[in-house]
Amino acid sequence: MGNKNVLIIGGGTAGLSAAVELVNLDIHVDLVEKSDFLGGHAIGYTCKATRNTCVKCGACMVEEKLKDTILHPKIKIWTGSRVQEVSKNGRFTAKIHCKPKYIDPHKCTNCRICFDKCPVDGAILHGFSKNNIPFYAINEELCLYLKDKSCGLCRDECPETAINLDPKATEYIKEADAVLVAAGFHPFNPEDKPYGYHRFQNVITSLDLERMLKQVGRVKRPSDATIPERIAFIQCVGSRDSKLNHLWCSKVCCGSALRMARLLKERQPDIDISFFYIDVQTFGKDFEQFYKDVQEEVRMIRAIPGDIYETDRQKLKINFLDNNTHETLEEIFDLVVLSIGITPGKDNGEIAELLHLKLADSGFFKSGAEEASAPNTGIFSAGTISGAMSIPETIASAGKAARQIVKYFRANDS
Amino acid sequence: MKDKTLIFGNGPCAHYIAEDLLSTGEDIVIATTDKTCDFSPSEHSESIEILTDTRLVSCRGSVGDFRILAARNNKEIKRTVAGVIVAEEDQRKSNFSLYGLKASSCVITLSQAKELLLDSSHKQSIFLKAKKVVFLTGLVKESHPAIAEEIMHSALRLQSDFNLQTYILTANLKVAADGLEALCRETKEAGAVYIKFTDTRPEIHSKSNDSVQIEFVDEITLKKFRLTPDITVVDETIVPSDYAVDLAKLLSINTDPDGFVQADNVHRFTVFTNRKGIMVAGPSRSIQTYSDQITDAANAALVSAGRMAGLQIVPEDRAEIDKGLCIRCLTCYRLCPYRAIMLNTRVVVEPHACERCGICAAQCPRGAIHIKDLEPESISNEMATGERLQEEDTFMPFLVAFCCSRSAIQSGELSLRMGHKLPPGLKVIEVPCSGSISFDHIYGAFERNADGVMVLTCHEGNCHSEQGNIYAKQTVAQIMDMFLQIGFEKERLAVQTLASNMGTEFAEMVNRFEANIIELGPSRLKKNQ
Ligand SMILES: Cc1cc2nc3c(=O)[nH]c(=O)nc-3n(C[C@H](O)[C@H](O)[C@H](O)COP(=O)(O)OP(=O)(O)OC[C@H]3O[C@@H](n4cnc5c(N)ncnc54)[C@H](O)[C@@H]3O)c2cc1C
Ligand code: SF4
Ligand code: SF4
Repeated sequence: MGNKNVLIIGGGTAGLSAAVELVNLDIHVDLVEKSDFLGGHAIGYTCKATRNTCVKCGACMVEEKLKDTILHPKIKIWTGSRVQEVSKNGRFTAKIHCKPKYIDPHKCTNCRICFDKCPVDGAILHGFSKNNIPFYAINEELCLYLKDKSCGLCRDECPETAINLDPKATEYIKEADAVLVAAGFHPFNPEDKPYGYHRFQNVITSLDLERMLKQVGRVKRPSDATIPERIAFIQCVGSRDSKLNHLWCSKVCCGSALRMARLLKERQPDIDISFFYIDVQTFGKDFEQFYKDVQEEVRMIRAIPGDIYETDRQKLKINFLDNNTHETLEEIFDLVVLSIGITPGKDNGEIAELLHLKLADSGFFKSGAEEASAPNTGIFSAGTISGAMSIPETIASAGKAARQIVKYFRANDS
Repeated sequence: MKDKTLIFGNGPCAHYIAEDLLSTGEDIVIATTDKTCDFSPSEHSESIEILTDTRLVSCRGSVGDFRILAARNNKEIKRTVAGVIVAEEDQRKSNFSLYGLKASSCVITLSQAKELLLDSSHKQSIFLKAKKVVFLTGLVKESHPAIAEEIMHSALRLQSDFNLQTYILTANLKVAADGLEALCRETKEAGAVYIKFTDTRPEIHSKSNDSVQIEFVDEITLKKFRLTPDITVVDETIVPSDYAVDLAKLLSINTDPDGFVQADNVHRFTVFTNRKGIMVAGPSRSIQTYSDQITDAANAALVSAGRMAGLQIVPEDRAEIDKGLCIRCLTCYRLCPYRAIMLNTRVVVEPHACERCGICAAQCPRGAIHIKDLEPESISNEMATGERLQEEDTFMPFLVAFCCSRSAIQSGELSLRMGHKLPPGLKVIEVPCSGSISFDHIYGAFERNADGVMVLTCHEGNCHSEQGNIYAKQTVAQIMDMFLQIGFEKERLAVQTLASNMGTEFAEMVNRFEANIIELGPSRLKKNQ
């Protein structure tokens, strides 16, 4: 199938896995990723192994898919890019819009000088994997030069002259024989919940914790960088919530949170951890044993707290209904971790419109019986674009989509 | 002759795979122990052979050329196939005993309930006369979304078609599967009542007339309740079928602790096993919902149909056995995780099946196995570049870290990229698997003036070669013992585990090790001491 080309929208676990499967079958791939880095959400996750034993969180498999992707000459990678128009006349014709390339990947040696010199926090972004190349990117929203030309330090300091702050955006027209939508999910934004996210510094999300552990290996309070004595995890934030009309379980949060809780207990054993939940979901093949073990280390409370208040020294007061006594209890924690759910991607509407597809009522792409790819449209989907999935499930769905694409090509060639 | 794929199984997953492979013109053989097989392909029926009432006896050869011996009515069946897919169905074990119950006309398993509901005539159905049905699940052992899904579907039918009152008693309600939370709402709207237990459990009594009485305190209202269901449906534990377990043995596939035909190892995602060319899909590899099975089937078809591309090139850097040195001790045959060692007139490595992990070469007592670029000598030469750095007044230890290419090498590079400082005297040596590290490698490092040697492996359960990291640990432990006996500091040797994404932890580990070695001072084995 050496003359076929597939356009993949989204370079997360799903897009990377599908790309690798397709090029292994000699199919060319254009992988279009809107952010500066490939890997999607999961490339920022921490390894959650405890006692030198893998707990099968799957994070390192995303690392492997990314490595295989960047090593493969037949995958054309478009980071910082979006698909803007798609038309179909036999084949698909797509317009790819690439934002300016401020850092020349061929010149950049990832020396980190730009990152260290930049006066604005967050104006230079960094990747999570050594296979994020280049490892740094200019954040258009915060860069002073792009705002009012008042800076330019990184460009001047870069020893490789790899930084150009005045390049233009570019546009390309690409032809494809099939389109795979793999634009992923949006992590639930808990600002509207009464938990004080973004108002109280020491309320963080599970995604923040994943990244903190990957970056520094330990948990600290954002407000004062001290080690918290008491941490509360609150589950199902944005999932299983009929008020939000989120009638789904995000599947991965119990596993992610409890595995991180155990990792914290191993690395920082003095921390007390409480886990507020509705039902603990099964994850992993050794769940029965894991669940027994974790109950020894973590205090499990079957209740979902109402409100969170900030008290002195930026501690957090949580109210909840105690299951045994049926009294409302009040407890103080140093850090609260909200286990945020998987919700429909921000761009789902736009992408659906681009491809003339209808979304499900939930806001996800249709899957299963009502597959995005009604036979013969040449449009397929993979990963969390069509609902909550774990990393292994996402990889499997990408394999399934690759197979559907192969069959579509065969059916349309004969 | 075209290469064939052999599929074991006769359930939905096996049939999906068959249909899928036929649709792109593959040749397939279906082998099932069932007496009949009602699979009828919608196209290409000339490309399929169905062997019913057939059991596998043995499987020789390797990817591209598996020689299958099977038996049907004591008659031998021989086939040569390029690939094998295990897609047997699972098996249910009733959980009556967990709840202190016995099967009876009013205490049935979930499978029985499902079957009764499948029978559309309903005439004989015990549900016709019943008013209350109780489902028990996950109260002693944890339930699973695949079970919860079946319970919810059954409860919905009973509520709406039979006008029954259903109660679902559980601890953790498992809704982590597609559409289950919504389905759960639907059952509630249809009238099903969910009663959840946290620290308490219901008391379940079976009466002399087989009827069941359930007493409990509702955890929300703290009120006492007594339920006397007309029918009690007891959940089941899903296990691999006996034949799937047999197949794993006959095919030399590593299983998970419950016997499912796939090791619990992330490198086997999605349908892979420790053997190239042998895949496992559907309920043979894990507990699965129906939609999981369809996804698995597509993945098995994908790999199976794509396999041929990789087989055209014979890899050159694989293990080779020196026939002059080999004494047929079969250490390699026992230890090769990928079953790449073939016993013909002599012991040989099948290059297509070999993954170049180097375990055999490290473990062969005769040193008869060679892998290009992995010989202790060539690795020692690699060390020389690090050794040359060592001309300082203050003691800067020369540290050698043998790093697995899949984990520690990656995390080491990540740690540099993240801006961590690593010891200046650190020499990282990439090995395909830590299991390839032998006594010679480690001694070689000390001979080459290392002050300390680290072996950095994957976490347990994450080794692509299954046990490579365990062998590395054993090798290190044995050398430490010897060090103890000769009075050499065993702290100069360390083995630790990492994953590819642990950049920060890599830096912590090597820097801590460097500090320990600085404390110990230069190694006495150094030549210029
Ligand atoms: C807090 C948290 C913890 C988790 N922990 C685990 C865990 O431990 N184990 C596990 O198995 N799973 C875990 N998951 C689930 C895991 O994150 C997902 O399974 C996985 O990331 C899904 O991959 P994806 O490719 O579908 O989506 P994403 O990771 O969201 O990737 C989608 C990609 O598409 C890009 N994109 C979006 N829109 C566009 C567009 N319009 N054009 C171009 N590109 C676009 C995005 O930038 C992104 O790179 C966790 C999830 C959360 C929220
Ligand atoms: S699967 Fe998760 S726990 Fe296991 S090694 Fe990979 S990252 Fe670590
Ligand atoms: S190198 Fe590994 S895979 Fe190859 S034959 Fe030896 S033990 Fe088997």
